[in-house]
Amino acid sequence: MILSTENVHHAYDGTQVFEGVSLSVDRGETLAIIGPSGAGKSTLLRLLALFEQPNEGRISYEDTDVWTLSDGKRLKIRRNVGMVFQEASLFDASTLRNAEYGLRVRQPWPKRVKNEIGDLVGKQNGTTEAALEALEVVGLDGKEAQDARSLSGGEAQRVAFARALAYDPDILLLDEPSSDLDPRNTAVLEAAISEARSRGIGIVIATHDMHQAKRIADRVGVLLGSEIIEIGSTKRVFENPHDERTRKFIDGELIY
Amino acid sequence: MITEVLAALFVELPFETNYIASIVRVSLYVSLVAVVLSTLFSLPVAMVVGFSQFPGKSLVTAIINTGMGFPSVVVGLVVLFGLSSGGPLGFLDLVFTPEAMIISQFVLATPVITGVSLAAVTSVEENVRDAAYVMGGTRLDVALVVIKEARFGIATAILAGFGRAISEVGSVLIVGGNIAYADGTSYTRNLTTAIQLEARQGRFETAMFLGAILVGIVLLVNGLVTRMGGGGRAKR
Repeated sequence: MILSTENVHHAYDGTQVFEGVSLSVDRGETLAIIGPSGAGKSTLLRLLALFEQPNEGRISYEDTDVWTLSDGKRLKIRRNVGMVFQEASLFDASTLRNAEYGLRVRQPWPKRVKNEIGDLVGKQNGTTEAALEALEVVGLDGKEAQDARSLSGGEAQRVAFARALAYDPDILLLDEPSSDLDPRNTAVLEAAISEARSRGIGIVIATHDMHQAKRIADRVGVLLGSEIIEIGSTKRVFENPHDERTRKFIDGELIY
Repeated sequence: MITEVLAALFVELPFETNYIASIVRVSLYVSLVAVVLSTLFSLPVAMVVGFSQFPGKSLVTAIINTGMGFPSVVVGLVVLFGLSSGGPLGFLDLVFTPEAMIISQFVLATPVITGVSLAAVTSVEENVRDAAYVMGGTRLDVALVVIKEARFGIATAILAGFGRAISEVGSVLIVGGNIAYADGTSYTRNLTTAIQLEARQGRFETAMFLGAILVGIVLLVNGLVTRMGGGGRAKR
């Protein structure tokens, strides 16, 4: 398992969000975390993205407890993880510059400075090719020069996905990436997620869209009441849930 | 040089072109150096105050906001005290020099640049900072993203600080002394102190001409501020 949590307890703003959450994701698989709004899906993804340390428990990357490492070593691990938020959160720059960002920060400073100067004179650089290829995956080739903040909501979210894909992470964390998208943009995004999975990237997607989880996930974890009440193959969880609360949640009967 | 060209257009001006040019030169030198130094100090302060939690943060913010309206004569007095022979920085021997004027303008411009920059950087959306972090950015990378996102607000802060510095008269008069060389060119005489002197001595044409230059510079700065303000982005 490339990324895992083990018995994670965590409080956020004084509220206990997790009590003993354990899960794992491997390369080339898609794990969907489903649960009602406010269950802590986003917080879980932020813990996996190493924004903050859990109060208790262990988050491991390739069996190494990441919070026992130095900042420098943890930065190396962070750079193997990508994340797409519910909002696109694009920078005030062109589509291409957004897609290049993750590649740029991985370059040594002399090269970065050289690339920044190259931008001013309109010269392509070493990060452009990978960024263009990522934009192509999300169907935005031809829009690389456009101001990213002038894109539609769906296009912006696709740029956000391309931006994370461009630096070829081991893990992609997707926090309800299509909750505000129309069916066409959702379909493009889901195709891009499949493409990322086929490249061996492990994907954790938080969603409250059951149909989406069925369409794209290999496994599903149900986050309810501060814990993962059930985790298993998508088919098994949806067709034969072991926990009564899972069945009620899937059937829309659960009051929360 | 611009002043010389402008003065050449008014062939009957009853004053020396070199005199005017030297005053403008001193004004721009003092204010530009003060604003550059202030910017180098203010930006990191704005970033730290904006994005760090520490005891006394509210007090620091209140001091910055209060400093934006600090009376320039009081600043001049404090700087004069600090630089005078009996003061803590007396050994630098800077009283009545352009460098003393730079220090006083630095003190005046810093709260303005810090305060406006603070508002600009804290208006950058948190999820943009998160995006920079999660893509492998270090703290420095995130800070650079914030500065880039807030660039219009920061430019406005710098221009506002320059406007505050170049148009004030009280502190530079106290610490600079409004001194001219024997040949009549300026040593510590800037536009505002020269206007005050010329008007007091009844040379109203010269005072008016200097005033027009000062108003022109301030108008130019305000025009740039307005333009920058229009280019900025608010939270969405």
